Amino acid sequence: MSHAFYLDLDRCTGCFACAVACMDQNDLEVSRPEPTAWRQVFAIEATTGSEVRIRYVSLACMHCEDAPCLMACPSGAIARDAATRAVTVNADLCIGCHSCSIACPFGVPRFGKDGRMQKCDLCSARLEAGLEPACVRACPTRALKQGDPNLLTLEAEKKAAARLVAGT
Amino acid sequence: MDKLQRMIKGKIPGEATGIEVRKSICTICDPQTQCGLDCYVKDGRIIKVEGSRENPHSEGTLCAKGAAQRQWVYHEDRLRTPLRRVGPRGSGEFVPISWSEALDTVVENLNRLKAESGPESVIFYCGYPKQMRPFVQRLAFLFGSPNYCTESSTCFTAMAMAWRLVYGQMAGPDLAHTKLLLVWTGNPLWSGTPNARRLMDAKERGVKFVVVDPRKSPIAGLADLHLQLRPGTDGALALAMANVIIKEGLYDRGFVAEWTRGFDEYRIYVAGFSPERAEEITGVPVELIRQAAVMYATAKPAAMMPSSTPLVHHTNGVQNQRAAAMLVGLTGNFDVPGGNVPQALAWLEVPGGGFPARDHAFKMPRQWSEMPPRVGAERFPVWTEMIDQGQAMDLVRHITTGDPYPLRGFVGFGLNYRMFPGSPRFLEALDKLDFICLVDLFATDTTKYADIVLPACSSVERSEVRAYPQKHIIATEPVIAPLGQSRSDTDIIFGLAQKLGLPYQDYDGVSSNGGTPPPELGGFLPDGSPEFSAAFEAAMDWILEPSGMTMAELKKHPAGMPVPNPIPVSYRKYEKNGFPTPSGKMEFVSSITEKYTDREGIDGLPVYREPRLSPVSTPETAARYPLVLGTGTRLPMFIHSRMFRVPWTRSLRREAMVDLNPADAAKYGVVQGDLVELSTPEGSIRVRANVTHLAAPGVAHMYHDYPEADVNSLLSPDYLDPISGFPGFKASLCAVRKVSEAAPDFDLPQEVAR
Ligand code: SF4
Ligand code: SF4
Ligand code: SF4
Repeated sequence: MSHAFYLDLDRCTGCFACAVACMDQNDLEVSRPEPTAWRQVFAIEATTGSEVRIRYVSLACMHCEDAPCLMACPSGAIARDAATRAVTVNADLCIGCHSCSIACPFGVPRFGKDGRMQKCDLCSARLEAGLEPACVRACPTRALKQGDPNLLTLEAEKKAAARLVAGT
Repeated sequence: MDKLQRMIKGKIPGEATGIEVRKSICTICDPQTQCGLDCYVKDGRIIKVEGSRENPHSEGTLCAKGAAQRQWVYHEDRLRTPLRRVGPRGSGEFVPISWSEALDTVVENLNRLKAESGPESVIFYCGYPKQMRPFVQRLAFLFGSPNYCTESSTCFTAMAMAWRLVYGQMAGPDLAHTKLLLVWTGNPLWSGTPNARRLMDAKERGVKFVVVDPRKSPIAGLADLHLQLRPGTDGALALAMANVIIKEGLYDRGFVAEWTRGFDEYRIYVAGFSPERAEEITGVPVELIRQAAVMYATAKPAAMMPSSTPLVHHTNGVQNQRAAAMLVGLTGNFDVPGGNVPQALAWLEVPGGGFPARDHAFKMPRQWSEMPPRVGAERFPVWTEMIDQGQAMDLVRHITTGDPYPLRGFVGFGLNYRMFPGSPRFLEALDKLDFICLVDLFATDTTKYADIVLPACSSVERSEVRAYPQKHIIATEPVIAPLGQSRSDTDIIFGLAQKLGLPYQDYDGVSSNGGTPPPELGGFLPDGSPEFSAAFEAAMDWILEPSGMTMAELKKHPAGMPVPNPIPVSYRKYEKNGFPTPSGKMEFVSSITEKYTDREGIDGLPVYREPRLSPVSTPETAARYPLVLGTGTRLPMFIHSRMFRVPWTRSLRREAMVDLNPADAAKYGVVQGDLVELSTPEGSIRVRANVTHLAAPGVAHMYHDYPEADVNSLLSPDYLDPISGFPGFKASLCAVRKVSEAAPDFDLPQEVAR
């Protein structure tokens, strides 16, 4: 089963629907001092000379193939789900050492009131039941997608080809 | 974890997990959105929601607010019983009472006020949601009061008025067939997410986007041309675009000659708005104005997307919106494929819903002429001539002065006092009333002023009927039982009507004709709570009768169904019927506003006036309050006061913040998260600074309704457009001063420079 997320940056509007859908799906506790939202949306204001563009980016765990978090975890709490290829956490084994946070290039791991690591599990149970991840379902612009990495990039490539023609 | 446990944790519906998916709709926001909602229910409780795929409007998606439905529905602030006030007004001290006691107290007081001061002394009001509006209006009119008002006194109506002044009707953009979309303010990517996908698809199809907006909003990010004007100067920009279009001969001469009124006067007036002059007023460079005008006039077809509020939340709002709307007819884009196409309104005024309904007859069992003048009649004559509601912005004055007659009672559904400019003054006025009954979902700062509070339930706990522009209709059924003793708004309305002895269910008026009234449906449960679901269905059957649809048929389709034999979309309807304006033509000079030109700020032509407070019109005030203040610009996670209390949405922006441009922030020595004082001549609030290029230099945007930082308290209750009565929320003046540094744990994203 395929396991990648894809975000069409041109279509993400920073509307936060994905972030809240994830909270609802996973009963997340977001109050201080341990807010544990698994999907985050950022507004990035990119300045080039006098030009400013505000872009929006929705991020959660990338489910890396060579997952640095998995390799860094000393207690074997992080594993790869055989069926969905999602990188998952077994909180019972987590010792709360934060090695995964140091290793993860995307700042994904969160630590709740119990001090154990938690993060996106790619809605694995939903994938197995033939449903899309909660965040993907909610996205009003269909910026956020999930599926076979090669099909997702092929779709992006098709759009790039269309843009090339439009530009001529 | 075994497989079943994993499925339960993953909330997978099915027999094994005992999770059932039930269909409803979301009405947390209510500007003709109503996304289809799949509620995952286990043991009578919603454990998750997602969008219904079957809904052709939202197509399985939700916004951040809708996705937080579960925390909103089950929130601890939900009212669960009727309440009677025991402490002073505003104290929040209440005791629970039975439905019988509550309804009897309301009815006793309404009848007393009617006997003492006439039925017009009672105000009936409707905020969110909008499904019960016709029911509240019918209640008011049968009671005998013309004083039916809604939150549309500050939303949408002024825009519709402007279009109606020009064309006799509203005409939305035909996005599917257009080549260019002129987005005139508003950011539907946050405020109307069901259309976000369609806009993105249009962009990918190669539709050109011209966006007029003071903000660098997400939709401005899609723009091929972004005209970032000074707030409130839209009229000058539109007139300058007309100037270019006429001068360059790009207007539709045939249409203008045959189908318009007052073009010569208009042409002479716009001749005074050269792009050079408009640049001085609006701040938009001459070249951009020219380019936008030529692009819009030559795209053929081009559509204009109006917004419900930003263009009309100005003291010159209707005139600005008229000037913009006129560009449509001028360029021959009215009622053509890919242009702006008027469509008949279905139930609850959904354009292009595709079926006729009897809302009007239902909500207006009496004519205006049979009742005393309504709130705002003297002060807002254009509104009063055009809109079948009172203008609530005149309530403060009317209650306070008792002119032309005393107002003493208030029955409000979803009243939020912070909607009113000069909000503390509205509370003071409210407090002068003899009797207040408020119906709400939550205990709010406004319900603290009620004498009796009645608990309403949310959309997932009730039945309602909604139409969609995709010619789809749904009649929902409750997916969970109402929380506590809460009831649907319509149950409450029918219950009040019955106890008041009004002929509410006599839709054909047989009793007034001497016939026998129909038997009343519904009644009161043993605990006294109103149960009128059969009456609601009978009412809807009566309303839907011209469409041929029945509730029995609709209820067979839990996710809704396509409207059978929908009214087909057609074009150039004016060629057959003329325009529904007094002259039968598109009016550059309005036959309606022309009658009131003795009033300050009302003219036949779309005359441009500066906002009443602006660096240009009030330079002395601007010397002390140098920033333009816009209130109420949308954020994606909130809708008015509705989502602050919900932890999931609140976590996305924990603190009240004012958007400031980095240049202004630097000027005032403010960085992201600093505590600042935002002040106007009316008062001040303390909020955090959000330093962002979303705000143009010189403009501060502040979201409204925060209990701890109510920006509408900084405006005067009289800061209103004389035509519509709408507040000038989007352009007044303010000052910003730093109070203290950001707290170290301040958790908002910082600006990133690349
Ligand atoms: S937590 Fe970080 S490192 Fe681990 S899989 Fe996710 S993105 Fe990769
Ligand atoms: S896949 Fe599921 S767990 Fe991961 S971010 Fe999306 S909703 Fe959250
Ligand atoms: S729901 Fe979609 S558009 Fe909205 S923030 Fe998430 S990815 Fe972006």
